[in-house]
Amino acid sequence: MVDYTALAPVGILVVTAAVVLLAGLVVSQKKILGYITLVGLLVSLGLVLANWNIHVIFDGAPFYGAIVVDPFAQIFNAMFLTVGVLVCIASLKAYGDHPRQDEFYSLMLLATVGMMVVAISKDMLTLFIGFELASMATYAMAGFDKKDPKSIEAALKYFLIGGLSSSLIVFGMSYIYGLTGATHIDAIAAAFAATPGLASTPAALLAITMLIAGFGFKMAFVPFHMWAPDTYEGAPSIVSALLAAGSKKMGFAAAFRIFIVGLVAMKVDWYIAFTILAVLTMTVGNILAVVQTSVKRMLAYSSIAHAGYIAIVFVIVSYYPAPDVAVAHAIAGGLMHAFSHALGKAGAFIAVAAIGYMILSKDGKVDDPNHIDNYDGLGKRAPITAFLFALLLCSLAGIPPLFGFTSKFVLFLASIEAGLLGLAIICVLNSALSVYYYAKVVMRMYWGEPKGEAFIESPTYTFALAIAVIVLIVLFAMPFVTPGDSVYIWAETAAKAVLPALEV
Amino acid sequence: MGPITLILLVLLIGAILSLLTNTTAQARGVALVSSFSALALSIWMYLAYDANFDTVTHYAFEESGTWMPSIGIGYHVGVDGIGLPMVLLATIVCALCAVFSWTEGKRPNQFFALLLLMDMTLIGVFVSLDFFMFYVFWELTLLPMFFLIGIWGGPRKDYSAIKFLIYTHIASVLMMLGIFALYYFNGTASGTYTFDIPILLEAYRTGALPISQFWLDFIFVTIMFGFMVKMPSVPFHTWLPDAHVEAPTIGSIILAGVLLKMGGYGLFRVLLPMMGVASTWFIYLIALFGLMSIIYSPFAALAQKDLKKLVAFSSIGHMGFISLGVAASALAGMDPARIVAHTGAMFQMFSHGIITCVLFGACGVIEHHTHTRIIDDLGGLTKKMPKLAILMIAAFFASLGLPLCSGFVAEFGILSGSYGTLPIFVMLAAISIPFTAGYHLWAVQRTMFGPYNEYLGDIKEIKWFEFLPLAIWVIIFVILGILPEAWNPILSMMHTTADYFITSGNVLPIGGIHVAAGGAFPW
Repeated sequence: MVDYTALAPVGILVVTAAVVLLAGLVVSQKKILGYITLVGLLVSLGLVLANWNIHVIFDGAPFYGAIVVDPFAQIFNAMFLTVGVLVCIASLKAYGDHPRQDEFYSLMLLATVGMMVVAISKDMLTLFIGFELASMATYAMAGFDKKDPKSIEAALKYFLIGGLSSSLIVFGMSYIYGLTGATHIDAIAAAFAATPGLASTPAALLAITMLIAGFGFKMAFVPFHMWAPDTYEGAPSIVSALLAAGSKKMGFAAAFRIFIVGLVAMKVDWYIAFTILAVLTMTVGNILAVVQTSVKRMLAYSSIAHAGYIAIVFVIVSYYPAPDVAVAHAIAGGLMHAFSHALGKAGAFIAVAAIGYMILSKDGKVDDPNHIDNYDGLGKRAPITAFLFALLLCSLAGIPPLFGFTSKFVLFLASIEAGLLGLAIICVLNSALSVYYYAKVVMRMYWGEPKGEAFIESPTYTFALAIAVIVLIVLFAMPFVTPGDSVYIWAETAAKAVLPALEV
Repeated sequence: MGPITLILLVLLIGAILSLLTNTTAQARGVALVSSFSALALSIWMYLAYDANFDTVTHYAFEESGTWMPSIGIGYHVGVDGIGLPMVLLATIVCALCAVFSWTEGKRPNQFFALLLLMDMTLIGVFVSLDFFMFYVFWELTLLPMFFLIGIWGGPRKDYSAIKFLIYTHIASVLMMLGIFALYYFNGTASGTYTFDIPILLEAYRTGALPISQFWLDFIFVTIMFGFMVKMPSVPFHTWLPDAHVEAPTIGSIILAGVLLKMGGYGLFRVLLPMMGVASTWFIYLIALFGLMSIIYSPFAALAQKDLKKLVAFSSIGHMGFISLGVAASALAGMDPARIVAHTGAMFQMFSHGIITCVLFGACGVIEHHTHTRIIDDLGGLTKKMPKLAILMIAAFFASLGLPLCSGFVAEFGILSGSYGTLPIFVMLAAISIPFTAGYHLWAVQRTMFGPYNEYLGDIKEIKWFEFLPLAIWVIIFVILGILPEAWNPILSMMHTTADYFITSGNVLPIGGIHVAAGGAFPW
């Protein structure tokens, strides 16, 4: 009898999704569904955190090794669930009176299930199924405000590009299967390692290019990023939070699993390609973020820039065929940065949602509630929201005392350790550039002239923001309060789980 | 829990409590209690310094704990004869600033919270013995200052605040790369990865890092760049006049009085032990930066129409003396002279920190009472504000280097001590002396003396809460300028430390650093 307890977090969410969907048909007070969703997410998150260090491989029937619950999967699961909790709390307010909120919550739960399946997959097929489940659910969510043409546009763009990227991924996977006869990632890696010339055959190169492009769309790497700003801007803000913080990190979960193992096995010099990709992504993202006038669009571009920072993990891994401390730091730093960015970006989009809601309900008709001009004097009009938003921006900018600083610190440390001096300098200069546009928002909030009277701040939104900020501060300071550096250890254990060769 | 952690906590808690208050009186009350407790603690630390001094590590009040042991980040704090005076400086300046802003009416809770936060982060920089902590505090100092300039600043505050933030942030992140390299190479060489400052500097200094001269120099240059921007040294000074002009008075006082000293402190704490291993021409480079600042500042100051900008440029020159003194004391030469230069450079940090407070404080008082800082619009202020005039004239004289004030002691020490190792630099620096005296005297003459500009209307005398801090600062710099070294609390402590830095061989090579002919570029 197989012990399925390690899969309980996923199972709970599936059950919750079904319950929410069915209960939605009969319950008259639909608000309760949000709380059911929240409980499901919290229980699941609790289980993940309690079992962060398990390493369960589901060999034999029914999974045949396709599912692995290891620290790497758990760190991503924790990320997805935390984002889910934040988004869920925010939607209690945003969709509290919506007639079809049951659909929203079940879609959100299914999206989270899909992401978690990606994280625990070690087989390309399960990975792809999870990927599609999450994508399908989020396509529908992006167009959830169906009376808003921008939301429809966002959903359509997201759907078309998402479909394209999925087909590229499948295309790449089919070639890999053709070359190696396997869909399990370890088996693929073993096959490549066994036949040295295999990796440089045209078919293999084509397959890898397809995979990079396919996952690159999801992770919004430049030049595959065009859809991201439009989608993040047009989608309802809390859905943007889920997309930028959750769905995007799913792309990283998949790419980490496939590329990190694959690259080390293949020993192909992909590092120049990844360098160009990473540098382009962070630079273009940052430069375009500087010129935005919509805060939401600025956050979208900043999220592209952050994808660029995380992408240096691939550079370092492909630069270093023999794993050592630099690679361990790189993967751990990448995971930490994905985590800090997920929290920071989810919080930031929720803050945008909260601010947009307040502006629309108080100032009446405005063309674009996310325009930077509407943020003037928010420090006075909505002091708590503005303060928490400013802290979230600090985390994104990598300014202490928030976790965003720690994660960037470890990530950039790794690039110096790998001897990639030029890359490190580009990274830190980019990071310094990004301070400019985050600071601009803070400046408008704190020393712009208020455009109207004070807002009534929604406690629900504020609560979600406060959770994000507190978690970011705790993750920064926790190792200091309870020695034993749980955060970094988790990230490093996860790095070793994804790349066993690091166990030296 | 040692006194250092206690100071940091007192200020942090004070900042949080102050943020939660509603009125000026409450916020001020919290700020006064918290900043004066910090001051009391730092004075106690000074008194108990000798008893707590660890002769092995050469730090007092050391505390260490783990933070993220797996990547070698720890909580490690401690002070020595260069760190403790800086802690004293920060606590004195910030406590008196809390008095100075007695009636601050614009968002008082945030104002006093930022003041306390500023105090805490500055002290954090001066006590950190772990590069991660050091860097965290170093970055954190940006935020309170950014908000102080931005919220309470003048008309061009947007531009100045963001320029300040971005300029110094770029310097910091480049410094971070140097720290990373140091960390990594020490880790690969010794097997233990750590950010501990004494360990890393020891490894660098003793040549335990098996790396090429390029990487040694890379580490040195990036860290030096971070410090030079902060000091700031010509040609990296352009953020400073803007920041000062737009900053509120308190912001300027802390910026010039303490924040710039972070760069100087870094020279002593981090760069000095590295100088013997990095390419030796960097020492001349540091001296050159100092010299450029010394020569450039009086000429720039002479051209200023705004009294505050004039004072801002005077800071650049005074900070240049520190670079010059540090460079001179590192080079091979007579030990006693090098110690004099070194002590002078250390003392200049403290002395300038106090003198400049009065200068900026006086500018603030003038602006507050007359609503202008343009020198041509002022004149004859002695007639209306005799008390302010006394303090301000005292400070201007101290700043131009009048004997019996601490500035003279410091700069005389630097110039006379440096002559042995850097004679040409000293000669050139001496050019600036008449011009420095000139712009100070000219500024005093145009603002304080001459006919009263009736256009200003009927202005009132300086208020007591403005008078008191300025007067205390004046008393401090006069006393420190008069007392002989043995009785001088700051100078004697610095002399002991300088003695250790120069002669022990644990920081600089014994006898100083010999420069190969031409100080060749090894790479």
